[in-house]
Amino acid sequence: MSFRNRPWQRLRTDKAGLTGLVIVTAFFLLAAAVWAGFLGESWSEAGGGRWESAGAQHWFGTNVLGQDIFLRSVYSVRTAFEIGLVVSVLSTVIGAVLGAAAGWYSNTWVDGTIQWMKGVLDSIPFYLFVAAVAFALQGVYWAMHIAMIATFWTTTGRLVRAEVLKIKSQEFVLAARAIGLPGPLILIRHVLPNTAHILLIQSSMVFVAAIKAEVVLSFLGLGVQDGVSWGLMLAESTQEILAGHFNNFLSASLMLFILLLGFNLLADALQDAFDPRQAAL
Amino acid sequence: MRHFIRILFIFLAVLPLAACDRPAEDPGPAVTYSVYRHSMDGAPTSTDPAQASHIYANFLAVNLYDTLYRYKYLARPYQLEPNLAEGLPQVSADGLIYTIRIKPGVHFIDDPAFPDGKGRVVRAEDFVYSIKRHFDPKTRAQGAWLWQGKIVGLDSWKENGSNYDQEIPGLKALDDRTLQIQLIKPFPQLTHTLAQGFSAIVSREAVDYYGPEFPIRPVGSGPYRLVSFNSASAVLVRNERFREEPFSLEAEGYDPVSHGHLALDRLEGRVPPFSDRIEIEFITEDAARWNAFLAGELDFVKVPVSQFDQVLQQREPPALKPAFAEKYNLLANLESGFVHTDFNMDDPRIGYHPDPRQNARNQALRCAIIKAFDWQKRNEVFYYGIGQVFAGIIPPAAPEFDQKQDQAAIIRDLAGARKLLGDNDWSADNLPVLEYGFSSSVTERQMFEQFRSFMGEMGYPPEKIRPLTFATYGDYARAFLNREVMLITTGWTMDYPDAENTVQLFYGPNSSPGSNSANYNNPEFNRLYRSSSGMQASDMRTAMYRHMNQLVIDDCATISGISRRLILLWSRKLAALPDRSFVGGYFFRFASVDAAEPESRGAGQ
Amino acid sequence: MRYALNKIFHGLLLVLGVTLISFILMVWFGPDQTYSLVGKNATAEQIAEVRHELGYDRSFALRYAGYLKQLFTLDLGSSHSSGEPVNSILARTIPVTLALMVPGFVLGNLLGIALGLLSVQQKGRWTDRLITGFSVSSMSISFLVIIILMQVILSTPYGLNLFPVRGWQVNDPGSYLKYVAVPTLSLIFITLGYNTRFYRAVFAEEAGRDHIRTARAYGASTATILWKHVLKNSLVPIITRFMFSIPLIVVSGSLLIESYFGIPGIGKVTFDAITSGDQPVLKAVVGLTAIAFVLIQVLTDFLYKLVDPRIG
Repeated sequence: MSFRNRPWQRLRTDKAGLTGLVIVTAFFLLAAAVWAGFLGESWSEAGGGRWESAGAQHWFGTNVLGQDIFLRSVYSVRTAFEIGLVVSVLSTVIGAVLGAAAGWYSNTWVDGTIQWMKGVLDSIPFYLFVAAVAFALQGVYWAMHIAMIATFWTTTGRLVRAEVLKIKSQEFVLAARAIGLPGPLILIRHVLPNTAHILLIQSSMVFVAAIKAEVVLSFLGLGVQDGVSWGLMLAESTQEILAGHFNNFLSASLMLFILLLGFNLLADALQDAFDPRQAAL
Repeated sequence: MRHFIRILFIFLAVLPLAACDRPAEDPGPAVTYSVYRHSMDGAPTSTDPAQASHIYANFLAVNLYDTLYRYKYLARPYQLEPNLAEGLPQVSADGLIYTIRIKPGVHFIDDPAFPDGKGRVVRAEDFVYSIKRHFDPKTRAQGAWLWQGKIVGLDSWKENGSNYDQEIPGLKALDDRTLQIQLIKPFPQLTHTLAQGFSAIVSREAVDYYGPEFPIRPVGSGPYRLVSFNSASAVLVRNERFREEPFSLEAEGYDPVSHGHLALDRLEGRVPPFSDRIEIEFITEDAARWNAFLAGELDFVKVPVSQFDQVLQQREPPALKPAFAEKYNLLANLESGFVHTDFNMDDPRIGYHPDPRQNARNQALRCAIIKAFDWQKRNEVFYYGIGQVFAGIIPPAAPEFDQKQDQAAIIRDLAGARKLLGDNDWSADNLPVLEYGFSSSVTERQMFEQFRSFMGEMGYPPEKIRPLTFATYGDYARAFLNREVMLITTGWTMDYPDAENTVQLFYGPNSSPGSNSANYNNPEFNRLYRSSSGMQASDMRTAMYRHMNQLVIDDCATISGISRRLILLWSRKLAALPDRSFVGGYFFRFASVDAAEPESRGAGQ
Repeated sequence: MRYALNKIFHGLLLVLGVTLISFILMVWFGPDQTYSLVGKNATAEQIAEVRHELGYDRSFALRYAGYLKQLFTLDLGSSHSSGEPVNSILARTIPVTLALMVPGFVLGNLLGIALGLLSVQQKGRWTDRLITGFSVSSMSISFLVIIILMQVILSTPYGLNLFPVRGWQVNDPGSYLKYVAVPTLSLIFITLGYNTRFYRAVFAEEAGRDHIRTARAYGASTATILWKHVLKNSLVPIITRFMFSIPLIVVSGSLLIESYFGIPGIGKVTFDAITSGDQPVLKAVVGLTAIAFVLIQVLTDFLYKLVDPRIG
């Protein structure tokens, strides 16, 4: 047991990692407050004047429509978590299942098919693929999420497959097989839990990738359609920044930066703690 | 490793050479050369006149090709002027037969498409061919609607398989220089259509020779020819063989009071085109276009609305701040069109309903939405308050615009709107979900959010107003042309200065996929349109147009509208009036950049 | 030989998969250009005519087969928007994209390698921490934010105002430097965090191996070890990263930079094709990228063998 606990101890002494954890938790609480309806409800009301500067009434000022930029950037935390959570959880689950299946049934048609799917998805440039999915699913709220999940699971899948290949030949698995436990059961009970650290690290990295992709997609007009997000705010800011209105840009990019930094620090710390040798490879 | 780096450096040094494309025929900017650097806020993909469906493509079409007519450079209101034609058309007494003579000795530019590569003389037959192309499905032309059902035999020519060797009785070249057009019914706007890029004259040799590449291989007889063209820029150089017609201030409608500051008088008697080379940058991003202009990389710019604050000293009439006035000329150009948001009258949730009671409720709902719409704020936020809001569908740029039109349809009346809803049993619970369509872009999304907030102030629950977004304009157009969008925001740019061009937007038989995207269908309106469309301009016709305008307003079929005011700036070294409404790109030939002056000016600032 | 055949077979399967998926997404369900090509007052017949001219009315199988044939004969048809042959569009735009992206790509990687080596050499010291901190921060900034910031700082009156805001008026080495500077700096900044981190990890792993420890025990200087052993032995991951980045920088990477800076490269053309629904261009770009990817996989295998004959 002590062997298993060591990563957590290592994590506890990692100052950068703890900072990351604090940041992520704080943002999550903010998102929860928005979900619960305590905050940001009136993000779309255009009550203020055009491009008001920051002040007591509007903490970060207003945009061209007179909407409150603070409320919009806070509401965007919810959007970011919605995208990040949905994409990271689902792509991790899919990656885990397919990766494990490919590893367990390596060199069979199952493995071949999964590897082929992975190869195909990896060969289409990301933004092109997402744009295409956005078109094909025009009007579907989840179009962007689906596109990201479809591309992000492949890395998780590759890592899990490699790990399962390794675990498969270890003694406790061989023993379980010898006593005649069915394959899927061994896989779920004994193999997958041993890939948990990979899944944890991967899902935090996917979270970062998803939020970053949302920004670019929303800028290209392919991202969030109903609501507000940092990507939409940045897209808006590209039209006003050269006229000297920086509020949209500053608040969206700063909040985005802090959240991403939090996640990156956390992911780094997890990696160092669980898998120091493989860190960042 | 060191070796690798050396190879890398060689590679890097060679790359830029590979990346710059300058065909041998392009002499490049030289000292004696005058270069006009124009900018556009949109990019055409084709130079083919058959596809000159928007202003950007029109700019190229009318400069690379010849049209029979154009508009006078300076005269306002706009007046037609012969271009390739020798004079205005001779029209028969019944208004049905037009005879047009074209100028002698006009040549196409030299091009491999012609025998020996020598451009041949432009003939009347070429015009016939150019119009026929619009009725050939293979051309994918976009201008057929201008002449559809109007010229004898043209539509049946298409039905018979678009065979170019077949003659059309109503569209004939009597000889090399004489054209005759025979109409089915009077069409007083015909001459206007002959001043559009759509009617520019191409040669059959070039179309056949270049095939699918023709749209990027223009071979015309216009004042310029094309040197290079891609999605970022186009370069035109002077067509050395362009006919010599000295510039006359008087003929172009010069008025010393309104044009005196433009330094046009020194051009009197010189032969256009005045610029040797025109570089057009297609820059859709506002900020980038503006910065490039400020940095002196461009001679002309359409100022982004976000910069109006920085540039204008006062709004009415628009005037520049001294720092800008010193360096630039200003034109506050009212667009020849308008933006409006239509209700899909075909949608029983908001439009016509078979049940008379529900029909009346729907109309009350539409009228309440119109009352709750805050045009003043829309104008303030998106057009810096200098757009012109007007009631109805006859925009200020039309000669038939009514200064005394009742303004009720554009004045916000929240109390009235709420009362109208209440009187007709509309409440937050039973109001329908509104689907507001737009193609995904920052500004259109902001307009949607503003609309939602206007309606919220009337008591319309925000969650009942939903965006219906489309990734491209084409997909948006497909949706509303198939009547799938409830609230349709579009802009219309007039093709000619005659309100017929905008009232047809609400003519029943023009319903989607025609241009009547509101699918408005009022028998009285339709009757008035039919009887007015063949009439020459007259007070009576104007009265009929205005009556039609009032019908659309009373039926609450559209939230309309605003004509945007463009703020155009150009460097003082450019002598020109770069007006782009109706006259389109015709000013290019008159744009004169003084080659000597800019340096001293630049140094002296 | 069997190995090679096997590779080729797998490659073909991949190409089939990619083309099928991209065909379904981008062509069958993809943007419809009909409605931007019809004129103002279109009739239902005219719409049908345009659809016919665009080939939209043909069956799925016919259209997909036509696509495959186009790819294999490299006869890619003409753009529906401008009529320009797709081959000539590619020939015109790919050099621009290469000229735009290669400097940033190469410099970003070289800098990443340098910082990675430095970081490993100084492992645990403040230089290492500074570099690691920098790379984490750089990874946390959005691509778009970097581009906007670079433009504001380098090309506007709010900043230094040194370079053109956008565009690509390149006709000599001087103008090339002028226009390539801001995109290159953006690209370096975008990739540097990831590159540094990647190379640092590669070098750290290599530096921890037995033979390096042995060399160190024999008293070889740190610099010699890093240059002679670590760098050389890390060639495989470096090559892999380089190779697999090529199709990506040519298409994905340039999409945002080119559309933001208005540079007429393959990224902008692709973006315009997406937003206008110009299917011949889209089909060509996706199909060719997929083929490039597959070719690169085969080539990478081959290079591996060259660098390290033991890999099989």
